[in-house]
Amino acid sequence: MRGDKSLVDAVSNYFTQNNLTVVDIAILQPADPFLDMVGENLRRLIFMTQSENGDKLCLRPEFTIPVCLHHIASGNTTPKNYAYVGEIFRQTSTGVTGFYQAGIEEFGAENQAKADALSLSHAISMLRYIAPEKNIKLLIGDHAIFADVLSALALPQGWQKKILRYFGNNKQLRLLLSDLAKPAEMILLPPPISQLAACGNKTALIQFIEQDMLEADISPKTGRTPKDIADRLIEKQRLAHRQLGKPVLKALNEFLSINISLDKAEHTLRKFACRYKLALENVLSRFTARAEALDQQGINLSELRYNAAFGRSLDYYTNFVYEIHDDKREPTILVGGGRYDRLLTMLGACSPIPAVGFSIWLDRL
Amino acid sequence: MKITLALPSKGRFKEKTLSLLKNAGYEISLSLEKRSYHAHVTNLPEIDILFLSASEIAHELGNGNINLGITGKDLIYENLTHPNEHIEIKYALGFGHANVVVAVPEIWHDVSTIADLDDVAADFRQHHGRRLRIATKYWRLTQQFLSQKHGIQLYRIVESLGATEGAPAAGSADVIVDITSSGATLAANKLKILNDGVILKSQACLIASRHRSQNIDIICKDIKNALNTEKDSSPEEYLLARSFA
Repeated sequence: MRGDKSLVDAVSNYFTQNNLTVVDIAILQPADPFLDMVGENLRRLIFMTQSENGDKLCLRPEFTIPVCLHHIASGNTTPKNYAYVGEIFRQTSTGVTGFYQAGIEEFGAENQAKADALSLSHAISMLRYIAPEKNIKLLIGDHAIFADVLSALALPQGWQKKILRYFGNNKQLRLLLSDLAKPAEMILLPPPISQLAACGNKTALIQFIEQDMLEADISPKTGRTPKDIADRLIEKQRLAHRQLGKPVLKALNEFLSINISLDKAEHTLRKFACRYKLALENVLSRFTARAEALDQQGINLSELRYNAAFGRSLDYYTNFVYEIHDDKREPTILVGGGRYDRLLTMLGACSPIPAVGFSIWLDRL
Repeated sequence: MKITLALPSKGRFKEKTLSLLKNAGYEISLSLEKRSYHAHVTNLPEIDILFLSASEIAHELGNGNINLGITGKDLIYENLTHPNEHIEIKYALGFGHANVVVAVPEIWHDVSTIADLDDVAADFRQHHGRRLRIATKYWRLTQQFLSQKHGIQLYRIVESLGATEGAPAAGSADVIVDITSSGATLAANKLKILNDGVILKSQACLIASRHRSQNIDIICKDIKNALNTEKDSSPEEYLLARSFA
């Protein structure tokens, strides 16, 4: 089915019928935005080359980032949607390097619950339109709920950020939680630093570090500043004697094991919040609003599975994420989608632009 | 049947290798022309000796252009994507000891482990408008260690071709991944190795290409015997053999 023309045609028909703007994305892209956003892990997966004057270029490994860059450069107003279909390029161990993707990205919609629901609804109906025979399974997750659980458990800020970073990467997350449950290793610091950090004398600590930096010939301005170092030292010192308590660990484990159909998810989450006396009202009302919007889109909530541990460990996903799987060939992911409200600003947009979108892997149909 | 054995083309690495082969009983006739990259073993004419740069040896072993080579383990793991499919490490040779390590400025008193570095990397963009930069010539090892082993994604690699240890002071990177034997160069540049920051313990190894592994047993055996007799040599000898340029 690789790059099957009839599939690509079907995708184009779907776009026309739904009045979607089709955007043309160049195959050759600057490599830095991908490596900056997704991380160095991508380097071994992409095809890199260089322009004559040394700029790093790559064959497009996906569409979302180039679509965002296109939107920023065009100065288009929002709300605005972009649809695309085409080949992407990745290095794989099988030697296959080209894959077809089609998707829709929606920028700047005011009602987020509605936009989330519309995005998933498009993904489902596009999939049904181009591959009507496929039996699919729907999976959703929500970074925001996990973030609010951590905050409601009153964990130290540093820990919240750390734990949240591993959300979606279950193996690393379990490792981190068990590490935090152990007593922290003592940090050995040279004399004046240890006293200054212990008594939390930040001003003196900053001065001392700045002096040291200048002597070491490291500019206090190009990278981490004396204040960055002092702040973190003091926080670390404060947390040195803390460890993740058993009740907190129990609550987190219980939360992460919630895996239930969406029609029952709200009830389960409220029961969880109640049992551990966690104030999750705000995030749960947003969760409910989204479920209602999905219902209004005609999606059967009992066929949607909410997995509390499902997320993407990329820092621009902060909210709703979803995947559509092939029911017959688990764990084949046919569609990946979600809300990435941070990405456009990270790529240089002047003001925050909420964004949600998905990609279908056409070769897997 | 010719067997090609590649040796490092310069420095102490070359000297140590030649003395090992001499102990293995091989009489190597270096060409009169000093710059020649070829040599023969007078008492074992089947062996063809090639002098190549240490990273080239890794590549050629991977491609199967040579049967055997002596080079650093670090270069094998950095230059070959799936080393075990292409090469087999026969013996560690006991010289050229050096570690590939993650090092940060000493002044980062709050950073002593990879977990600390992870925190710093995650917040970097928010504080400085860019990702944390790591200077290295070992991008593959760095990426495997930080991303695949420790789940750290948010950093950028700055490819550095030399004097990597100077990058933090020069402001071109925040952290480095580099090879070090005694740690003296790092210390001179006010850098410290993270407690759990050793990515790879390297030394010179005899390596066979899986693509051309015929008829090499006799050479491997000779070298092994030479290693066993060399064990009696003084410990300073080992310390002298430093990193491979």
